[in-house]
Amino acid sequence: MPEEEKKKRASFLDTAKSVLYGMAGHDMSRYALKTRGSMEHLFILITMGDLLGIPILPPYYSLRLLPYVVPQISTWKRRMLRERDLTDALA
Amino acid sequence: MSLSRIFSEHPERRYIMFGGKGGLGKTTFSAATAYWLAKQGHRVLVFSVDPQASLSDIFQRDIFGKGAVEIMPNLFAQEIDADQRIREYQGEIRKKILDRYGMDEVPEEIENYIQAAAAEPAMEESAIFDAVVDIVVSADYDYYVYDLVPLGHALYYLSMASVYDQWIDKITALRTEMEEYQQVAAVMQRKKESEEDEILSELQYIKERINRSSGILTDRVKTAFFFVVIPEDMAILDTKKAAGLFARYDVPLSGYIVNRVIPESLAQQNIPDYLRHRLEMQSRHLETIHRELGSEVLALVPEFERDITGLPMIEKMAETMFGG
Repeated sequence: MPEEEKKKRASFLDTAKSVLYGMAGHDMSRYALKTRGSMEHLFILITMGDLLGIPILPPYYSLRLLPYVVPQISTWKRRMLRERDLTDALA
Repeated sequence: MSLSRIFSEHPERRYIMFGGKGGLGKTTFSAATAYWLAKQGHRVLVFSVDPQASLSDIFQRDIFGKGAVEIMPNLFAQEIDADQRIREYQGEIRKKILDRYGMDEVPEEIENYIQAAAAEPAMEESAIFDAVVDIVVSADYDYYVYDLVPLGHALYYLSMASVYDQWIDKITALRTEMEEYQQVAAVMQRKKESEEDEILSELQYIKERINRSSGILTDRVKTAFFFVVIPEDMAILDTKKAAGLFARYDVPLSGYIVNRVIPESLAQQNIPDYLRHRLEMQSRHLETIHRELGSEVLALVPEFERDITGLPMIEKMAETMFGG
């Protein structure tokens, strides 16, 4: 049963990869995505600052970018306007 | 050097601009130059980038917001309606949002932002700026004559271009860095491809538009920029200041045209003291102009006895400027 053997070996390899990813890679990719998320919010701040009452950019071209960031607007606003406390440093 | 010689010696200069303080005759000269070029057999578009445009008044035709209107064979005039352009633009953005997310209506918060953005003072300038790019990119004409906004606005216009440019460079860099993080995460999670960043390409597009339009204003080969000045103290001082600022933005200055010169021959006639004093003052200022600007003065245009409106008067003005 060489076919079955092959399958078994592949699934073992997959599991090993996932375990390895969980041990080493997951945190790093989480960190990369978190950094990217922060940058996304920074980006929205400098392009759509008017939404918080901080006009940073002439609005003609910021409107062009608006359609792409519609889903992020509410999380961004929440993040920008929320109060900070000590636990933020640990997050 | 005369005006007509400048045009015959530099046929490559296709973007013609008149700048100067408000009310000195920029629109008149733009219209007369466009008329003269059209009579020479060139296809010419004269257009206004001033929100309070007056080409309609000078041609005695309502052309506001109607696109390029044919005034006579080869001569077209256009006044950009910034409000209309902004309204259309807002509509496009709304449609893009609705299509992209399959919504029935734009969320209130977003709609408020779209509304508020249109009320910003910079919006009108930017919209006109953008419209000019459309006009020039289409390349339908041999000559483009810009009826510019008064000095302060024109400078704002130019400085805006360089600020925009730097701003876009900065956020493009931020966006590129974001893309890198996205890719790192994608590699870790063994995803084959990460999504293409549409915002990045949008930023590139904006940058190209801005560079294009400010590039025309500062194109040493294709652009001829004339300053309009009158023989009065304030106007001379302001013009000199502005010329310095324009030079800093690399605007290629082709020369000066002195407008509203009271004919000196009047001094021989029996004229009231009031006019005699004005003539004396004028000759003093003309001396200053010749001493400081010298060969850069291309034409002295007399004060006309009547308003310059309608084609016959524009023709008369063109004859005075370019000599028959």
